[in-house]
Order: sequence, then C-alpha cells, then structure tokens
Amino acid sequence: MIPEYYEFRNSTKILSGTRAIENIPFELTNMKVTRPLVLTNKQLRSLGVADVVIGALEKGLIPAATVYDDVPVDSSVNTVNDVAKAYADSGCDGIVAVGGGSVLDTAKGASIVITHGATDLMQYMGSEVLVGDRMVPFVAVPTTAGTGSEVTSAAVIKDTERHVKMGFVSYNLLPDVAVLDPRMTVGLPPRITAATGMDALCHAVEAFSCRQANPLSDCYARAAIDLIREYLPAVLAKPKVQKNRLAMANAALLAGVSFSNAMVGIVHAIGHACGGVAGVPHGEAMAMLLPHGMTYNLDVVGDRYGELLLHLAGPEAYCAEHPADRGGAAIEAVRALNRMLHDKTGMPLTLSQAGVTEEQLPVIARTAINDGAMAFNPRDAGYDDVLALLRRAF
Amino acid sequence: MKRRIIAIVFFFLGRGFAACARLDSRVKREVGRWADGTVVTLRVAPSGPQTSWGVNDGVFRHLGSRPVESTLLVTFKNPDGALPVFLGMKGVLQAFAEHRSTLAGDISLGMSVVRCLHIVEGYLFPAVMTRRILPSPAHREKPMIAAYALTIAISSAPVFVEGGAA
Repeated sequence: MIPEYYEFRNSTKILSGTRAIENIPFELTNMKVTRPLVLTNKQLRSLGVADVVIGALEKGLIPAATVYDDVPVDSSVNTVNDVAKAYADSGCDGIVAVGGGSVLDTAKGASIVITHGATDLMQYMGSEVLVGDRMVPFVAVPTTAGTGSEVTSAAVIKDTERHVKMGFVSYNLLPDVAVLDPRMTVGLPPRITAATGMDALCHAVEAFSCRQANPLSDCYARAAIDLIREYLPAVLAKPKVQKNRLAMANAALLAGVSFSNAMVGIVHAIGHACGGVAGVPHGEAMAMLLPHGMTYNLDVVGDRYGELLLHLAGPEAYCAEHPADRGGAAIEAVRALNRMLHDKTGMPLTLSQAGVTEEQLPVIARTAINDGAMAFNPRDAGYDDVLALLRRAF
Repeated sequence: MKRRIIAIVFFFLGRGFAACARLDSRVKREVGRWADGTVVTLRVAPSGPQTSWGVNDGVFRHLGSRPVESTLLVTFKNPDGALPVFLGMKGVLQAFAEHRSTLAGDISLGMSVVRCLHIVEGYLFPAVMTRRILPSPAHREKPMIAAYALTIAISSAPVFVEGGAA
C-alpha cells in the first residue's frame, strides 16, 4: 500500500541492550550536557529503578544536577512548570527522564516551557504548532514496555485548574536518545507487563490500519507484532529473563515509532475516554477494546488485518486461513491472546469486569468522539457507533 | 489563481456553515457546545485566504475573511494541499492525516469543527463529490436548495442565537 502522500520521522538515537544505561553519560557528553536534570517519580525511586540511572550518571562523572521525583500519575501543567523551574534554578542543561508515559510527557512539556519561555502551555496545544529547534537535550529511559513515548512526537498534559487535557503533537518533542535496558522493566508485575504489552500491540495494529499508515510505519508495526507474539507469553512465563524484557521493550519502541508517524484510531479514542471517565488503566482498556475496534473497522480494512494475521498468529496459521477470512482470524488471534492474559494475570476481558458502569457508557461515547485519535480511524464513527461498540465490550 | 479559487470557496463555505447552523440540528448542537469566545479559523499559508467563525455572548457568527485572534487555527501549509479539500476531491480528515494542515488549539474542538464541515459539505457539494470525501453518505435534514438559498441570502456576518431558531 502506498499512500498518495505521507511524512515520516524518527530522529531518536536508540541504545538497546545489556547495560545500555551506562552509556548515557557518553551520550550526554556528545550533546555537551554537563548538568542533567533527572526526572522520575517517587515509586521508581523507592523501587531503586531510578537509582540505577542516577548511579550510572555519577560513575560516568556527569552526576545529576538535581533529581525531580515528584511527577504524578498524570502529567499536569503545574508539574511541568515546577520541573522547568527546577531546571533553571539548578542551572541544568539537559533532561534525563526515567519513567513511564507520564514522566516522559512531563519532560516533553517541560522542554516546551524551557525552550519557548512559555508562561501558558495552552498556546502550544495542537498539531505541528511548535517551531524552531528544541533547546533541551533529552534522554528518555522508559520503565514500562508499552507507551513507546521514548520515540513519539506526542504528549498529553492536564491543566487541572482549567480541567483541560492538552494534546501536543510535534516532531520537536521527539527525545534525542531512547535507552532500553532490561533492568528498567524486569521487576514489573505480571498484570502491568500484560497490559503494557497489549498497549504496544494496539499501537502497532492501529498504526498499520489507520489513515496515515505508510510503508515505513508498516515495517515498524509488523516487527513490533512479531516480537509481541513471541515474547509477551515468554515474559509472563519467565519474567526475570532479561532477553524477554528487552524484546518487549523493543516491541514497544517499534510500535511507538509506527504510531508516532501513522497515528492511532478508535481503540485509543475510546480507551482514553474509558480512562478519563471510569479510571480504566490504559493498557487494560486497549486489550479489551482492540478486538471490538478491529471488528468495527473490518469492512474497511479487513485486508490489512488479514496481512497482520501472519504476525499475530504466525506463518502456519496465516497459510491455513483462506485469504478472505484472514481479517476475521486476526481479530480472533487478539481475542485468544486476551484470554491467555486473563487466565495468567487476571486482566479483565470486559468493561464491566474493569469496573465501568452502564451509566458511564454514554459519557464515554461522548468523550471519545471528540478525541483526536478518532480523526485517523479508517472508518468514521459517530456517537451511536461508539455507544454500540461500548455495549458490545461491556 | 489557486488562492482566488480557495477564497471563493471560503466565501460560500463560511456562509454555508452559518446557514447550516440555522438549518441543521446537528450543526446547531455542535456550535452550541462551543465555549463563549471560541474563534475558529481556516487559513491557507503563507498569505491567506482565510475564513472564520466565532461564538460571542451565545451568538454564533460567520466572521468572514478579516483578521481575527483565533482559539482554533487550522492552517493549510500551501494552496496545493488545500485546493483538493475545498474542491471536494479530498476529505478534511485525510488532508490532516497527510500533514497537509496544522492545528493550533484544542484538538477536541477540531473534531467538532470537522463534524460540522462534513455536514456542511453534504449540503453544498453534490453526491458525486461527497461520496469521495465524506466518511459516510451525506444525510441532509433539509433540502439542499434550502441551504443554498440561505447561503446566498445570509449576510456576511449572520447571527445565530445559541439553542434557538434565529
């Protein structure tokens, strides 16, 4: 498939493998950073995960000028402003962000404030609004294998006072360096491992089938799904094996590159709304909604899903299926994966199991149709369509 | 030449949007949810043309092509990327997906604008065009002729009182 026109960028340098973190000081030196701000959260500090990075910086003779570990579960504009202030007060010249999507999004927001001297982040909301070079060297160290934030051009930051969820999409937000080190994810509990893995799978499947899919993003999506098929069951069976963890971290990164350039669709639009309205963890929402979103889109992109069967279920299953039935079989492969994860980790299979109430469904539907991800879904979805999908997933 | 064509389309699109805000309950409902002070602008870089709509004191207006301070600004990067959209050859969402335009402001408001534009295009463009650009078949609550008549008759700054029949 070749689109009439597309754009693609992934300028982030990737360090992946055993003791990759020990190379961060070298990368900082390359970027002329001498006083990095380390951004993380209290949980990662208490678990000793962030200290692996802080220790590596010290050993590399570029110790953190300051450590900001007060990032909340959801990135907020107040936190972003606090981080920018800490950056200035400590005379920092770069950011090393250690964490999941919230920490990395906070770093992206802080880079906007620092670069543009922004007093109101709202001025920079939107898509491709930021101009000029980013003035903040930025190293991203993900501690989950799911969001792909370490290679995406997007960030979401809440303005808690104005009750606005601000979305930013700009190539200027891409980190300079992404560091995948299995030590960062080896301690993740099974259910979070499963949920974040399904988030990555959802990124890949949606990127492969959305309006902006292109030959380059397709390559990343296919590679991500291959890794997830092989290593998500493996990492749940043997969570301490670093190779399994590293493979899943790579899968999340590959899916991140893919969706950063091809975007995501209805599953993410509804999943964001489930999180906002009913507090459903993002990865679990993705797992529950993915087969329903694929079913909704099947008439429009069934052939594309059919191509994915090869990656979701392997060559034998692909060859055994009639070409016309491969799209449906791909959906069934996702359902089978969900059932396996449910059995192994207790992850919910339905929205009701996840604590969503029937009364919340209309609110979720109303919120979802205003989510930016809906713009990229291959099939139009209005309020009634989303509500019907939610009832099926309930 | 391309800019002139787009300027002409903007003239009718701007009025057509205002007309649909009176005629069609779905557009009326959408703009009724826009916050007071909202100004939405479609613009072609680097030097225009542009067209805007706004809500002020509960009143929805087409603001024409005059310079305004926008809360949501959709900028097409050049006339070549904009022309197919405004000649009904390419959908608004497809153009956005192809990075033909940028969006400054709240993306969820952008989604509301897109839904309105789809409805408005359903009135202004013939079926042979809308089949290609709209995500689903155009559904019109009123006859096209009514929309055309109101588009032509409406002043350049028509008023739509939120929630009521103007």
